[in-house]
Amino acid sequence: MGKFSEDYFAFTGKIFDRSKTSEKPEVLKGVRVLDLARVIYGPVVSKWLGLFGAEVIKVEEPEEGDQWRTGTYWAKYWKDSCPYFQSLNPNKCFIGIDLKKPRGKELVLELAKISDVVVESFRAGLVEAWGIGYTVISQVNPKVIYISCSGYGQWGPLRFFPSWDLIAQSMSGVARLTGFPGKETYKLQDYYGDFFPGLLGAMGVMAALNYRERTGKGQYIDMAQAEALMRTMLNWTYMSVVGEDLERTGNVDPSMVPSGIFKTADGRFVAIAIATDNQLSALLKAMGRTELAEDKRFRETFERLKAGNAEELDKVVEEWVFTKTEAELIELAKRHGFPAAPVMDDWRLVNDNWRRERGSVTEFEDEMYGKGIWVASPVALEKTPGRVKRLTKPIGYHNRYILKRLLGLSEKEIKELEKEGVIGYWSNRVGQRPPPYYDIENDPIFNYRDGEKK
Amino acid sequence: MKETSEKPLVFSKHLTGKATLEHLTRFDKLLTEMMGSVEEKPEAIDDITVVEVSQANFAGIIAAGMLGEFGAEVIKVEPPEGDPARKITPYGQRLNGIGLPFLMESRNKYHITLDLNSAEGQDNFRKLVSKADVVIDAVKPGLMDSLEIGYRQLSQLNPGLVYVAISPYGHYTSKAKELCNIPDTDLTAQAASGYPSLTGNPEAPDPYNYPVKAGIWAAWYMSAALAVAGTLTALLHKRRTGEGQMVDVATNDATSAWQGFQIVWGFTMEKPRVRVGNFDWCLFPYGYYEAKDGYVTVASVLDADFRGLLKILGRWDLENDWRFLFDRITDDVEKLKTLEAELKKELAKHARKELVSKTLSYSAKAARDRLRSKGFPIIIETRSPREVLEEKHWQIRKTFLEMNLPVCGKFMIPASVPKMSESPPRVKWIKCGLGEDNEYVYKKYGLGEK
Repeated sequence: MGKFSEDYFAFTGKIFDRSKTSEKPEVLKGVRVLDLARVIYGPVVSKWLGLFGAEVIKVEEPEEGDQWRTGTYWAKYWKDSCPYFQSLNPNKCFIGIDLKKPRGKELVLELAKISDVVVESFRAGLVEAWGIGYTVISQVNPKVIYISCSGYGQWGPLRFFPSWDLIAQSMSGVARLTGFPGKETYKLQDYYGDFFPGLLGAMGVMAALNYRERTGKGQYIDMAQAEALMRTMLNWTYMSVVGEDLERTGNVDPSMVPSGIFKTADGRFVAIAIATDNQLSALLKAMGRTELAEDKRFRETFERLKAGNAEELDKVVEEWVFTKTEAELIELAKRHGFPAAPVMDDWRLVNDNWRRERGSVTEFEDEMYGKGIWVASPVALEKTPGRVKRLTKPIGYHNRYILKRLLGLSEKEIKELEKEGVIGYWSNRVGQRPPPYYDIENDPIFNYRDGEKK
Repeated sequence: MKETSEKPLVFSKHLTGKATLEHLTRFDKLLTEMMGSVEEKPEAIDDITVVEVSQANFAGIIAAGMLGEFGAEVIKVEPPEGDPARKITPYGQRLNGIGLPFLMESRNKYHITLDLNSAEGQDNFRKLVSKADVVIDAVKPGLMDSLEIGYRQLSQLNPGLVYVAISPYGHYTSKAKELCNIPDTDLTAQAASGYPSLTGNPEAPDPYNYPVKAGIWAAWYMSAALAVAGTLTALLHKRRTGEGQMVDVATNDATSAWQGFQIVWGFTMEKPRVRVGNFDWCLFPYGYYEAKDGYVTVASVLDADFRGLLKILGRWDLENDWRFLFDRITDDVEKLKTLEAELKKELAKHARKELVSKTLSYSAKAARDRLRSKGFPIIIETRSPREVLEEKHWQIRKTFLEMNLPVCGKFMIPASVPKMSESPPRVKWIKCGLGEDNEYVYKKYGLGEK
């Protein structure tokens, strides 16, 4: 106990050393996840589980697959695959089953029987109509944790209403909150309306796994996309207390003064937001404007937060920032201790050494796709770190691997399933097929034999 | 949970027919049994004690509250003068002196005061943590360690401890050390994650063409939820092995690391995206449009959806010009603008209700199409929070809770997410009096007299 002679950051650097990640254990090893989900919202629930070691089996329709395989930005494909799809589905196994065929449904039920978690993201009630919903699966596997990811939840008059990220943003009211007052509103970009609800879904599954560890009981999780977004909105509390709407405020955070995104002398953008009196003193010292701390409009937090006063202080900061470069501002923030950060962009993020050192962005070599730069674990766990082990595979790539190993099917039975169209593969379309250079015919997993004669 | 007598709108061919409706009725019955009476159900992690130490950092405050919603006993430790977060509130608005975000996120917590700069306070803190499972450290990185109550010291005392650090640049790496003096806010975390660089209209005049921040605490909520998911993952490991560990969340990294598409774009395109106003990089139309009497949201994701939209708007004449699948997700933004102008013109002619009902009746018909070739375009009202509150659906689901505090009076908060059948998260109470629970907590954990 007491003080250590070793520098704190030297110590933390050692315990989080990312070159040791592959030697460390995985918490969810042995947890099997049946992933019936599509696009972003559902698939990121199992992405979390897969990052921490779960075996995730992603079921897709043969020759169709997850729509996101073919939906890419500006029609750009990377080695015949959608790079976004890669980033959403690492570490997963890919199996092609036709759910419309009775035998296909049976296969899904057999897999569900030996799974710990089932994830689906169809319209509310659809899996029930198909006979692979919780009512059926909890019968064959009472310990299952079954999460349904829908727009509005499984009950209530809106439940059948369709949803995408953007629709959930609109139905939750979050749509009206981004943008300058009196000007156009913007959506939360990059599908926040999928990623955040999906994360709360993963959180729910992790809570359920903890509960199951204690009691042996599984459960049903009704994840509603719009409710997740509403959970982030102060508007409800604000409206009920103040009686007025909380309108959008452009780049100002109305709970912090000064705050904003400002242009620097070198034409970049820097965000500054002052949350406390101490932070204000630090900023004013850096600006050489300590007299403002004594100004009765700014001295006291609640006084400072009033609309007119806030604008005046923001203006002073805006003018000051315009005389400094980004690097100077960050140096001052570091020295004096006030919140400031450059507005990063896609290219800077990829080249950011800090993120590489942290391990949240990683360059690695995939067996099928070669070298690439991808996000890995968004949270660092010292002893059981999350990790990306491999990228995605074409539809049905793991058919033999899963069906032989887990369900004990023989090569002959699998050939029959293929013939009947119960299981299947990619169609020869970009987004679905393997990269052109890849020798899939001699791939040992795709042609998995499992002890049979070669 | 009662369904209204109105016939539900059904948008899928799979959800029609007598057998299916019977099946759905059974499912409804099961839901009523499963999801009701939350208060009487067990809690997922009510065997866990969480000690929260945050300084003007809502990522820490929200994370601790969410663990409390899942059943943990959460003890928020504040300095005698209180966490400055109590004063972080829009326009200085407060209820009984408490800032509104602090009020909304003080879920199921106990509030105690300890002076962590004093030997006595540190001693009490050690006593408390020796019986706890989780510490949330959302103060300056290294501060707790310098007070000899950081992860190094506490994990010797309590090897099963899960120590969750939340800060802008994290608790490890050379940059984390270099910039540890910079405090955390949502806005700076959004900026450092590159999030505002994706939002805004580059053609507007200054300063409206600047990168635009998200209108919610997008980075703080994302960081908090990641911290909770990380904590629950570490707790599962602890349950199996008895081993604790350190969990590190960098709020400047969390959003981009979880959403990931910025990294994908940067890696594949080797340049940043430029802001595209109301456009999306993958889908069109996918944004907000002005109708005669307010905003509507238009989303047509698949190619067939787009063609359906042209039919709804009576603009089939445009179809032939947009025959190629990738035309609408092209990098030729100028070309796309000509299409957008036509759609804008058409949408502005109609009232919101009219557009929505046109779309719904089209979709209900299209849903019966066997090949889904008629598409499934969506037009809905872009709702304001006030309009959301009037929606019966959320009332039925109890999405909003009305709280009633003796000193504060009534106010509303969003309920816990997600809804779960066996061990649902819930809000048992909201209270935030400074040092309000000193007596209870000091006694329970054997802390020295104050």
